[in-house]
Amino acid sequence: MTIRRGIAAVSWLWLVVASARPLAQAPASPAPQDLFRDDVHAKAGITCTACHTAGGPPYAPIARAAVAPLCATCHSNAEYMKRFSPQVRVDEYQQYLTSTHGKQMSSGNTLVATCSDCHGAHGIRAVADTRSPVAAMNVAATCARCHSDHVRMARFGHEDNPPEDWKASVHAAALLTRGDTSAPTCSTCHGGHGAAPPGITSVALVCSQCHVREAELFAKSPKKPIFDLLGQGECVTCHGNHKILKPSDSLIGLNEPALCATCHNDQMKGVAVITAMQTGLSDLTTRIDRANAVLDRAARAGMLVDDGRLALRDAREDQILARVSVHAFASTPISATLTKGIADATKAESIGNAALADLQYRRNGLAVATLLILGFLVTLWVKIRRLPSDGGL
Amino acid sequence: MSVRTWLEERTPLVAVQEAIDHKSVPRHRYSAFYFLGGMTLFFFGVQVVTGALLLLYYRPSASEAYESVSFIMTSVPFGWLVRSIHAWSANLMIGAAFAHLFSVIYLHAYRKPREVTWLSGVLVFFIVFAFGFSGYLLPWNELAFFATRVGTNMPAVLPGIGDHLVYFMRGGRDVTGATLTRFFGVHVAILPALTTALLAIHIALIQYHGMSVSPSEEGRVERTGKPGPSMPFVPHFMLRELFGWTVALALLAGLSAFLPWELGRKANVFASAPAGIRPEWYFLWMFQALKYAPATFFGMSGELLVLVPVNIGVLALILLPFLDPNTARSRRIIKVLATIALIFMVAMTALALRGGTA
Repeated sequence: MTIRRGIAAVSWLWLVVASARPLAQAPASPAPQDLFRDDVHAKAGITCTACHTAGGPPYAPIARAAVAPLCATCHSNAEYMKRFSPQVRVDEYQQYLTSTHGKQMSSGNTLVATCSDCHGAHGIRAVADTRSPVAAMNVAATCARCHSDHVRMARFGHEDNPPEDWKASVHAAALLTRGDTSAPTCSTCHGGHGAAPPGITSVALVCSQCHVREAELFAKSPKKPIFDLLGQGECVTCHGNHKILKPSDSLIGLNEPALCATCHNDQMKGVAVITAMQTGLSDLTTRIDRANAVLDRAARAGMLVDDGRLALRDAREDQILARVSVHAFASTPISATLTKGIADATKAESIGNAALADLQYRRNGLAVATLLILGFLVTLWVKIRRLPSDGGL
Repeated sequence: MSVRTWLEERTPLVAVQEAIDHKSVPRHRYSAFYFLGGMTLFFFGVQVVTGALLLLYYRPSASEAYESVSFIMTSVPFGWLVRSIHAWSANLMIGAAFAHLFSVIYLHAYRKPREVTWLSGVLVFFIVFAFGFSGYLLPWNELAFFATRVGTNMPAVLPGIGDHLVYFMRGGRDVTGATLTRFFGVHVAILPALTTALLAIHIALIQYHGMSVSPSEEGRVERTGKPGPSMPFVPHFMLRELFGWTVALALLAGLSAFLPWELGRKANVFASAPAGIRPEWYFLWMFQALKYAPATFFGMSGELLVLVPVNIGVLALILLPFLDPNTARSRRIIKVLATIALIFMVAMTALALRGGTA
């Protein structure tokens, strides 16, 4: 009995140790040859020796400073690269040399990023592949591996955390929440291979790649020469750079926290324009909300208010245009847009009110009809009761 | 010569007058059920009148159907009222038809010599569903489009003929403008023609045989040896029926004014199905039962587990007078089966309604 218990105890002990052993081991990273099987180069028929020209397996790692020139031997060769894709670009290395990363690397600082830091070394995927670290949805996370590393960035004198700021922005919400891959991520503004912070003078050019109308209006506005004179970055002065929040009408006004109040007070030039913009936008928003409430009430009561919804949609489009027109920093063209928006919102509201009035008319009509029907029913009932020899059902 | 005399010489007016004068309705504790058929007929009449008015403006094409219904609802004087009454009356007609059918089953009014009356009635009952199914698509809105897509796809599970049936119903591989035109033709021409013919037979046979009396009432008359009490059809029963119809009219007006029938959003054939699509309430029980069906069953579609028993039930319903030997025991069994079917349908409908969106 004791021997049996002893065997059982040893068996249990062995099972516990055996089952615990894999947990104790650190997960092994896949071997380079395993990663390479899924690599875009392997699929194009390129083998290890294309990069690892010296020695034999196992190959020695390639020096960090040598990575970009090595990649460039193929990726800067237009004749060679067009075999794989007729529209492939071949200026990545040239771009890289102009980037902050490339300049630092050229000066001997190998702590900065090179090709393999962003694209990977042996499991490189096409940019269009959503699993690629440089696919639109993943770019910010890839940049954050270094740019959110305070210890690493402190060596370069950077204290801020741009990827974290960007995550709170309206751009990140569009890209990561709505899945809109046209929304800007790090490389959209800074460039990919030629990554560098855009200077004060060129930041507006970067924003205007998407915000065309705002840039046009600003370029013709009275603010443009003043900003140029003061050396202020155009867009970033009001909107910031990485943590660009959704703008609201409250940014306009002469009192804090309105942005205009940063430079303007009620004694300065431009008060009339700021006040007109603020009251106009506020009035339009109020009228849109009111029209929407009336249309909702009518729709909930079962009324068809499609025409009202169309007018309201026009008013909302006018509201967007008016908000864009703010960048002219003048009473035109915003006043015309606001006037049209208010007219559209008023039309929507009047359609909603007409529907509610029609509903009331129907209910009044029903009340009259019900009274008539009730009178007829009473008459009928009296007639039935007076029928001869009727004992009811 | 008066008009009456002129007519009497040329038509069987006297005979008809005599038949009406002598027609009577039995009076007993189940007499209230006699009004259900008349109520269904009233709603059908409302459908004919409002349907004819809607036809003046409705356009049966995928590009114009929704817009024409919207025009009826917003721009045609009292168009909203006509369309809402048409939609509400359709639903109340189906409700009344259900009640009429079950009252006939419970009172065993289908028994000899009323087998043909039953057959014509039960066929009209199914045609009423076909009216509902075909009419649901006509506004060409989102919910109707996707519900029709699901509904017309159901026969696809039938081996052999399933795909052909679906193709025939849709007028193509999918629900398109061709389906709408097809459903419109069925809704306003074929079904009304069939209904009119069957209703004429149904009503003529009711006049011929008179009102059916339940076996228990018949037994009581036999035991006492005296005929049961009755009332003249005109004016006693007719005025009561008019009373019920007037109440129904008031109900329709109230529903149309306070709960106008919604139009929803226009169907987009390229959009994905919206959340919460489900058929009209009278098909909900089957919709819910199909949700409980497994995907496959011995290599066949799991939906057959619902569709086959339902079709057997439909066949049994049609052949009920021939299946029931009309004994006390068989009548009890029929009552129990009808109650089980009723409870099943009510429970499934309640579950579907409680479940909210599909």
